[in-house]
Amino acid sequence: MDVHDLTAAYALDALSPQETEAYEQHLGQCERCREELAGLSEAATALAYGAVAPAPPPRLRTSILDAAREERTNVVPLRRSRWVERGSMLAAAAVACVAVGLGVSLSQPGQQIVTATLSVGSGGKAMLSTSGLGAAPRGKTYEAWIIPAGRQPRPAGLFRGGPDSSLALRGSVPRNAVVAVTVEPTGGSSAPTTSPIFSTHA
Amino acid sequence: MARQHAHLSDEALVLLAARSEESALAELYDRYGRTAYGLALRILRDPALAEDAVQEAFLAVWRTASRFVPEKAKASTWILTLAHRRAVDIVRREQRRRADTLENAPEPVAEEGVDEDAFLRLQRERVQSVLRHLPDAQREALELAYYGGLSQSELAERLGQPLGTIKSRMFSGLARMRELMEEPGTEMSWTSTT
Repeated sequence: MDVHDLTAAYALDALSPQETEAYEQHLGQCERCREELAGLSEAATALAYGAVAPAPPPRLRTSILDAAREERTNVVPLRRSRWVERGSMLAAAAVACVAVGLGVSLSQPGQQIVTATLSVGSGGKAMLSTSGLGAAPRGKTYEAWIIPAGRQPRPAGLFRGGPDSSLALRGSVPRNAVVAVTVEPTGGSSAPTTSPIFSTHA
Repeated sequence: MARQHAHLSDEALVLLAARSEESALAELYDRYGRTAYGLALRILRDPALAEDAVQEAFLAVWRTASRFVPEKAKASTWILTLAHRRAVDIVRREQRRRADTLENAPEPVAEEGVDEDAFLRLQRERVQSVLRHLPDAQREALELAYYGGLSQSELAERLGQPLGTIKSRMFSGLARMRELMEEPGTEMSWTSTT
């Protein structure tokens, strides 16, 4: 059995339990299979949308949430998820920062509420979610930065903004680092060229 | 309060669920519960079993949210993969039911007459259109595996083909689906309406 050949079947859940186990062990060592699986899994999952989807009975939702609530009281999370900031910037502040620092205008000042949420999980992996942040203007992109205490900013990824966006930051966020977002030319910069539109201490 | 998280991304919701925020799980269910249920029903052909599969899948989301790695997969892919896996586990357990499935493979639920969400219907039509573009042998292999819950060895036996042929049909079928979904006109929408 060539384990490399099992990727499509694994993505379709079409392996026996023994084959599944062998393939999962192999995945840990094979970068090529992991990449291939990511792509094939998305295609396989698209098939889920191919089934007719009648509404489930409302009791199913209740039943799931009840069961989850009961479990919560008994379960200690295995891995701590550390929420650093759940900041909420109101329109005035956001518009001021954005407009003054970067020359970006939001379409509806006074109504737009921008929120940025940074969550840092175990190992310093972090996710930055924004909502209500206008899309970056033509020729520009938002760029996230990780700034370890007393060090130069490290590029941590690009995102386009829009009503709802999230970015898994590249690299880990050390304790006491600052995470910031700036507007940069498309393609990103290796060091910030503008003032941050927001930043937070991790 | 029901849609207090409507503005958050799926991935942010999973992070909240990892913090035991029940409302985040509720929002994920509101986004993907119906698709998961439709899928489980197609595989299991039994509403009670389909409910079991969906419940187990969402509780798996709840229990393992802290291990979800957003760099590796989209949250929606992860959730629907969990639902598919549970449904396939259950269908394999229910051998008798599956034998019935093999005999005649019509849609378990008539497409007409279902009060289907317009957005979900659009997504379904896109996927079905992509499937129609595949060679028959590839489409058959994907459908029997994904919706029928057959393992690759069972597929080989049922279709009277060597295992290698089955593997290559599944691989080529998924790879072609991917290409087709990236083409304009058959582009899939992955985000849920809220």
